[in-house]
Amino acid sequence: MSRVQQPTVVRTRLENGLQVVVAPRPGVPLVAVRLLVRAGSALDPARRFGLAHLTAEAVRRGTRRRSGPKLDAEVEALGAVLGGGVDEDSAALGLSAPLEALPRLIDVVADVATCPSFPAREVEQLRRREVAALEHDLDEPAVVAGRATLAAAFGEHPYGHPSEGRGRDVAATRRGDLAAFHARTWRPSRATLLVVGPVEAAPALALAVKRFGGWRGAPGGELEIAPPVAAIAPAVVIVDRPELTQVQLRIVSAGFPRSSPDHAAGLVAGAVLGGGFTSRLMEEVRVNRGLSYGVRCGFTCSRAGGLFSFSSFTKVETAGELVQVALDEIARFREGGPTEEELERTRGYLCGLYPLSLETHEQWAEKLAGIELYGLGADEVTGFSDRVRAVDAASCLALARRWLPAERRVVVAVGPARRLKAQLARFGTVRVVTARSVM
Amino acid sequence: MPRPAALRPAAARLIDLDAVREQVLPNGLRLRVLREAGAPTLSYATFFQVGSRNERPGITGISHLFEHMMFNGAARYGPKQFDRVLEARGGHSNAYTSNDLTVYYEDFAAEALETVVDLESDRMRSLRIDDEALEQERGVVMEERRLRTDNSISGLMDEALEALVHQAHPYRWPVIGWMSDIERISRADCEAFFRSCYAPGNAAIYVVGDLDPEATLALLASDYGDIPPGPAPAAVASGEPEQRGERRAEVRYPAQGPSLLCGWRAAAARSPDAAALDLAQVCLGVGESSRLRRSLVHQSALATSVGVSHGWRIDPGVFSIYAEISPRVKVERVERALATELARVADEGVSAAELKRARALLRSSVLHELGTHNGLAQALGQAEAMLGDWREAGRALELYANVTPGDVKRAVRRYLSPARRNTVVLVPERAP
Repeated sequence: MSRVQQPTVVRTRLENGLQVVVAPRPGVPLVAVRLLVRAGSALDPARRFGLAHLTAEAVRRGTRRRSGPKLDAEVEALGAVLGGGVDEDSAALGLSAPLEALPRLIDVVADVATCPSFPAREVEQLRRREVAALEHDLDEPAVVAGRATLAAAFGEHPYGHPSEGRGRDVAATRRGDLAAFHARTWRPSRATLLVVGPVEAAPALALAVKRFGGWRGAPGGELEIAPPVAAIAPAVVIVDRPELTQVQLRIVSAGFPRSSPDHAAGLVAGAVLGGGFTSRLMEEVRVNRGLSYGVRCGFTCSRAGGLFSFSSFTKVETAGELVQVALDEIARFREGGPTEEELERTRGYLCGLYPLSLETHEQWAEKLAGIELYGLGADEVTGFSDRVRAVDAASCLALARRWLPAERRVVVAVGPARRLKAQLARFGTVRVVTARSVM
Repeated sequence: MPRPAALRPAAARLIDLDAVREQVLPNGLRLRVLREAGAPTLSYATFFQVGSRNERPGITGISHLFEHMMFNGAARYGPKQFDRVLEARGGHSNAYTSNDLTVYYEDFAAEALETVVDLESDRMRSLRIDDEALEQERGVVMEERRLRTDNSISGLMDEALEALVHQAHPYRWPVIGWMSDIERISRADCEAFFRSCYAPGNAAIYVVGDLDPEATLALLASDYGDIPPGPAPAAVASGEPEQRGERRAEVRYPAQGPSLLCGWRAAAARSPDAAALDLAQVCLGVGESSRLRRSLVHQSALATSVGVSHGWRIDPGVFSIYAEISPRVKVERVERALATELARVADEGVSAAELKRARALLRSSVLHELGTHNGLAQALGQAEAMLGDWREAGRALELYANVTPGDVKRAVRRYLSPARRNTVVLVPERAP
């Protein structure tokens, strides 16, 4: 079986606590630079959902040395776009550009991360754009379904709201909120800088020391997110969208964190049941019944917890049938686990495809950032195949019985409530909400 | 399209064109193989020169529906076997259909090559086309259409725009087809389609990655060599009358606010203007410092987001600009602002610095694409399908390097003029 060629990764912790990871590897003459900060949306304060996201966007709109337009022009002249993103656990800045631009890339990332000035006009415009984007999200049934699903899975836990935040909270956010959040969470001791590409480790590290060595974050205690407490009761949430002719459907239940020993078995079980084109759900829903174009399920794992989710869509008339098929397949898997043929095929699939997730410098930067974020072992990449190969029928079945939903699950549907209520009532107490209530 | 020989050495560094081995089998099938070190994987792409461009009213969407049919079993590997066998060997497959092409690809661990050749040649030789498979895929495709078009604002607007820009050309119908045509395509339609459009003479195979070129060519020749040639596909009715004045359409649908989508008939891929329009696209709308993002989003704040799109097609396709309009701003104001920005480029052109920035962004994007085996295989296939020669994939950067500020100005003036504009406005309605 093919093995991934892991670069020799050089890890150094600077005096200020910043972790620097340099991974020299051959390939196209581009270099990927990524900064990961544990400043995700789970740290959003009450009534300020979206603050972490807004902060990660706003740092790119101006620093003490560079205005927003100057930053844009400088980065884009290098052939790069300074990307950023926030999930529940982290904020990331990333870009890749021709190798010779490395000193400039590190300089820009350091400037943006450590010296943002949050220019008033830029922040105001950004806030308006974000509010408008959330409004537009109301028109995307899959986005509405995703938001309702998170709320159903995590409730009041900090993972219960999406990173983009809530319209009224973003509208109420002021410049001072951003500066305070940045000072509290963007600290060198909570950050990792990654450099991946055909570089030499020593000069790359020297550049990192030169530009990030002076970063002094505000003092403060550790900010950790408590694990979510599973309190999911059987229920149906219908987000009413009378005009839709197709229903977005989700089934969600509790899961486990990324560092859990259940991760490998969860990957295999999720793939047998609802990954790829040959999963049981794909077979039943798409191939045998033609109910949908797409169907997936699996475990999503974060730093402090996770969830199991099923997702598909079908025409309004067949929504109840599709949910029933999904629940039946989940129950059958809980009962008997995978067959030997399914296991062998799925392990081959996961191990064979793994190298494809690590072809580019950016993919490596993201993978190495994840290892830091989730506190995974040094053999995370090289040991992948062995861990997957070690998953047998018994461990899959144990995983399924522990984590696949029987009773404690919520069905979420986005579509015309009037036509869905009767179809979905058999799956639990039905609650009808407006799309706006989940935004 | 021939290009100055003096520029070729620079291209060779982008893709090692000399390392590509090629062969044409007696049945017309074209084979192209490239050894690339790096990940221990292979990408395998089969390009059929058929897309919605080759359809006619009544069977619109057949190319895409047929793409689904290709996963339903053939003589040696029966129903449900294709993906099962492939996944067990550590691979995955997918496919896409465009206006011009239908492409199947597999990414997999290098040692599974023989299995993949076996699977792919089996279905090119002897696809199973029966009523059961057709009915099943018809249902799936109708759900796909509901997802991407009927319940999607951007899908509805894109469909309306293509139908405005093209009055006679087959690009006027959507790749997924009209719902009424998806409902009526028959088994006989599918069988006729397979005979000509999926004949080896209408296809090319690209294999890139950790492989032995000679052994791979021999394996391909032995597995595909006995597939009989088929009739040539019918000629495409590719004419289109000159547009003489703006065309407008409305899409009325429940939405939070209005949106604007403008489109112009662009240049064919083989036209030297295609590269100039790519640069115009980047100058206008890629990156925060592009003209439209700077003026409409950051300065006037008339729009909350702007996107500019330009994809190469065999015949002239569409250059489009999409704007999500800020709350309480009238659509007409955004239309005027957009027209002003385009007129400025048509009158004054773009600066050398803007062009340099655009070239740098395009260079990164080309390098990113060529950074994976799949990206390389797709680049070779697209170049051959669009430009008639896979070698063009290695020349993308030269093309951009040769475009001058004057070329961009001329292209904007010629193609993106007010009289050739097509405008689609989303008019929000109350939900029923």
